[in-house]
Amino acid sequence: MAGGAATLHSIEEYRRGYEDEHRLRGFRSACGFVSATWGLRCPRCGRSDFAETDLATTGRLAAFTVQTVPSDEFLNDAPYAYVLVDLDAGGRVAGWMPGIRTEAELAIGKPVHYVPGYKPGLQFGLTSDDTAKSERP
Amino acid sequence: MREVWVVGAAMNRFGKMRESGREAITSVALAALGRAGLEPNSVQHTFLSNCFGVAERQAHLGPLLNTGLGIPEVPSCTIESACSSTSAALHEAFVHVAGGFADVALVAGVEKLSHLNTLAATSYFAMGADYPFETCHGATFPGLYATLANAHQAKFGTTAEELGSVAVKNHANAAMNPHAHFQKPITMEAYLGSPMIASPLRLYDCCPFSDGAAAVVVAAREVTPEPAAEPLVIKASVRSGSIADMHDRPTLTGLPATRFAAEKAFRQAKITPKDVSFLEVHDCFTIAELMALEDLGFTPPGTAGKMTSSGATAIDGHVPVNPSGGLKAKGHPVSATGAGQVVEIFEQFNHEAGGRQVPNVEYALAHNVGATGGSCSVHIFGHR
Repeated sequence: MAGGAATLHSIEEYRRGYEDEHRLRGFRSACGFVSATWGLRCPRCGRSDFAETDLATTGRLAAFTVQTVPSDEFLNDAPYAYVLVDLDAGGRVAGWMPGIRTEAELAIGKPVHYVPGYKPGLQFGLTSDDTAKSERP
Repeated sequence: MREVWVVGAAMNRFGKMRESGREAITSVALAALGRAGLEPNSVQHTFLSNCFGVAERQAHLGPLLNTGLGIPEVPSCTIESACSSTSAALHEAFVHVAGGFADVALVAGVEKLSHLNTLAATSYFAMGADYPFETCHGATFPGLYATLANAHQAKFGTTAEELGSVAVKNHANAAMNPHAHFQKPITMEAYLGSPMIASPLRLYDCCPFSDGAAAVVVAAREVTPEPAAEPLVIKASVRSGSIADMHDRPTLTGLPATRFAAEKAFRQAKITPKDVSFLEVHDCFTIAELMALEDLGFTPPGTAGKMTSSGATAIDGHVPVNPSGGLKAKGHPVSATGAGQVVEIFEQFNHEAGGRQVPNVEYALAHNVGATGGSCSVHIFGHR
């Protein structure tokens, strides 16, 4: 293949990773950028010099919103939080947190961790929350 | 490169259309050609946008438009760039005319979603984002912009009242715009009392789902030396892109694509923000207008909220922003939005804006974002 494309796991394998295998698959680029988003070149430096890696399943909130109006696939889950998470050891991913009713329950910088979800979507829980802790893999 | 003018522009009232998108855009295109004093057979290429045509079980609308205009032999293509579709189409028309591949080109955008329920329309809007890496985790479009608002508030202390000042201003402007979806002013109290949709964004932070159609006619100066209306000279026509997923970008408090496009557009037009008389910016949510003012270089990062609260962006302010009412109140029929911004600028340059007329217009800027900023257009217009 022209240009020496890196071989990265498929989007389906990424999804199966967090749905079935309790892992977050990603890549680490030679430029230092870490991500889970699928591609054949690094979106930051444009090079194919990157390696597959498992990302940490713990991290901190980078930004969040509490959605009272859900998307169609989350119709019975509102309100819930849509979150961006800075994973420990690098990489930022999007996910969601069920059971969050108000923005006062969250804060940027709060520790969160991956939780095996009960439905499609990458699910996180508050690390300080005992209930969530009991669900940790 | 030839000088390119906007010689005609027209739109219908954004909101709820009874007729099909096909009927609406054909009428509006004819009206835009009429403003230019041109017959349809002047058109040599049609650039059409209709992102969500499938909601009407229709794709390939260009040939239907041209057939309805009596010019079936004229080539057409569909340009899709989410919410920035017709500004992308305008750019393609500009390139064709500037490069001598066409003398006159028609840019047309239309959307009709009002026959869908809110949940279905919300799902359509979210299709501009990355499904397996963003929206499959439950994000709606308000949710995506809400995370940007959350980050902006955390970094700069942007307040609810500052977000609300965008909504109050744009509703006041739209109340004077007969094309606007909403023609009723709102108060800050009403804004603050509106229900939360995706914190910190309330109902009145969000643009509506609108139906609408808008069309723009562009021509080479040399073939239309005396157009029927005062033309807009396209001083800059710039498209840009950035990393599609918000979480992979280096910042959450602005849109890199806006910055890239603005820097290039100001260079192309050989002006600075100080020269701009007014702007039509992409305010799909109130936070988007604040970020636009910062990314376009009209105020330093984190200060657009205070700028807006001070009244500096009102029609009688230092630099009027969205005199039309913007996406927020004029409405956001996705594929008609970019062309609709140009209609406002065309009316302003022709002193047809009534109570929302900006005095002494020299240059105007149109800023149109695709989705959360994976794509962006900036156009700068001036006098001949």
